[in-house]
Amino acid sequence: MRSHIIGTIFRKEILEVLRDKRMLFLVILMPFFLYPVMFTLIGFVGKSQGEKLDTEKVTVLLNPQAESTPIYELLKTNPTLEVKLESFEQTSLDTMKNTVGVVVADGFQSSLDSNQSATVTIFYDTSKDLLEGRVRNIKASVEQLGQNLLLARLNEKQLPQGFVKPIDLREQNIAPQERVVGKIMGRFLPMLLLLFIFTGCIYIAIDITAGEKERRTLQPLFTAPIKVREIIAGKFLATYTVGLISATMNVLSLLVAMYIQVQLLSGGKAGEAFSLPISGEGWAWMALIIVLATAFMAAISIAVVLLANSYKEAQSYVSPLMMIIIIPAVMSQMPGMELTSTTAMIPMLNISLAIGAIFQGIFNVGHILTVVLFALLYAGLALYLASLTFGNENVVTGEKVKFKALFSKK
Amino acid sequence: MQALIEARGLSKDFGSLWAARDVSFQVEAGEIVGMLGPNGAGKTTTLRMLSGLLTPTEGEAFVGGHSMQHAQQEARKGLGFLTGDMDLYRRLKPAELLNYFGRLYEVPETTLKSRVAQLMNAFHINEFGDRFCEKLSTGQKQRVSIARTLVHDPKVVILDEPTTGLDIMASEFILQFIRSMAKEEGKAVIFSTHHLDEVERLCDKVLVIHAGHLVYAGTPTELNAQTGKATLADSFFQLVNA
Repeated sequence: MRSHIIGTIFRKEILEVLRDKRMLFLVILMPFFLYPVMFTLIGFVGKSQGEKLDTEKVTVLLNPQAESTPIYELLKTNPTLEVKLESFEQTSLDTMKNTVGVVVADGFQSSLDSNQSATVTIFYDTSKDLLEGRVRNIKASVEQLGQNLLLARLNEKQLPQGFVKPIDLREQNIAPQERVVGKIMGRFLPMLLLLFIFTGCIYIAIDITAGEKERRTLQPLFTAPIKVREIIAGKFLATYTVGLISATMNVLSLLVAMYIQVQLLSGGKAGEAFSLPISGEGWAWMALIIVLATAFMAAISIAVVLLANSYKEAQSYVSPLMMIIIIPAVMSQMPGMELTSTTAMIPMLNISLAIGAIFQGIFNVGHILTVVLFALLYAGLALYLASLTFGNENVVTGEKVKFKALFSKK
Repeated sequence: MQALIEARGLSKDFGSLWAARDVSFQVEAGEIVGMLGPNGAGKTTTLRMLSGLLTPTEGEAFVGGHSMQHAQQEARKGLGFLTGDMDLYRRLKPAELLNYFGRLYEVPETTLKSRVAQLMNAFHINEFGDRFCEKLSTGQKQRVSIARTLVHDPKVVILDEPTTGLDIMASEFILQFIRSMAKEEGKAVIFSTHHLDEVERLCDKVLVIHAGHLVYAGTPTELNAQTGKATLADSFFQLVNA
């Protein structure tokens, strides 16, 4: 293979991409605007909804018999509740806007005085976020009242608190903040990253293969004194480069947008929230894995869309291909799914698990090496498939390529 | 004189159809050969086998003495090939496209620069050289396509219906260029066409292909004498209707 021929094809493909406004926008410029705008919008909506949930008043209908109980006094102290002493039918609450019903059982005080349990029942629609939030507050207040009454009873009987709580069970999170953040990032970032790489690869792959077939520009290449392998190498490098740039742009834009949002919501403490447990070695492995994942996706994209005869037909292959990427990435998030010597051999799943493990700062170098070796193997196989497709006579003549004919030289 | 193009028993089986069957002919330097035949006769298949785009089921093609099947890189270096199935890169300008193909043919950079300038001048491409190829008219595109075919100064030029879709002025321009390529530069030229008047005006030899078979190879005058007809058109109809 001659590097200057490959370089010539590569430069021409990149020049055409740079002149294609649609491609530039989709692959490179859109991420710059999409995520900041999307996150800002989500932030604004989230903030205004949060404020509404915190401040909007909710009516509490309390049965009149409860006026003399501490429950009434307790509810009145909450400024987000408007307490009305009023009898109600359970079914009528449905028709009332933002209303909760509270019933204090008859004999509330006498039950307490005789060291019995007194019943308080809350009626509300659990499907409404606002009511759910307020009821949570009411329950917390009533439970605190119950705790105070319990302490008073224990004091009266001169019993310690441990009398009603023989075992004081406690738990302590020993994971550093970085690992917690790494776990969260490791859950969703691999899938996003793989999707970004795929999106970056697939559209240029379609343009320079099926698109060229449709535009009838492949044949002149096949009559030039160049080898099929050189054509593939030039086109593969162009697809790979755009895929890598697209993924980098997407991830950077996403992280910057997230950082800004967290900074706004945490009052300037985004630095702590974003600290990750990734060492220099981890970043190096991550870079290598991303480079290989991009190589695999660039190669498989070219191999598959080359089977199509038109841009439109090639686009119909995008969804099934995307499933091949997403399903292993989703599987990697299943409980108990870890990077092992077996999972390190499964295409795409291994990449997703490896990135997740590196984000958490817990990875086995042997497993990562296996991932690297198998990613190389799969990229090589995908390129071999691409070369079979390119070498097929039907591609040469711009006709439909039959899959079964790929393995014949005809 | 050594033949620059040689088809030696070329046959192509597409499974359900033999598109070409035992086609043999030779073209020497400075010769212009017209290939005639009805639609589906096997002209394009034969030309594609000569260019190496299709592998013959039987037989062998030679360009400049090199086998297209066994020394394809060498054979292709001396071949300029254009069919109606080839278009231009829409986001490249004509000079960029010519330079691109010049580099793929490994034309040295210094030679390439002057060659591109020469072709841009000869085909009057400078008039629209600042436009992307997608913005060019059909005639302008065809001029750039032929310039692309010649950028590496091949000894053999094969053009499949080069004047299809062109107006009379653009067609004449292309025909005159074909004549000068053969007669002044000594290239061997094959072009297929449906315009019999083009063959009568330009060609030293004519090849008539019908149902995949080469049914005539010789001069237009000999063909008329053989069929006893006064015009090439009448001779052609007699051959394909026989």
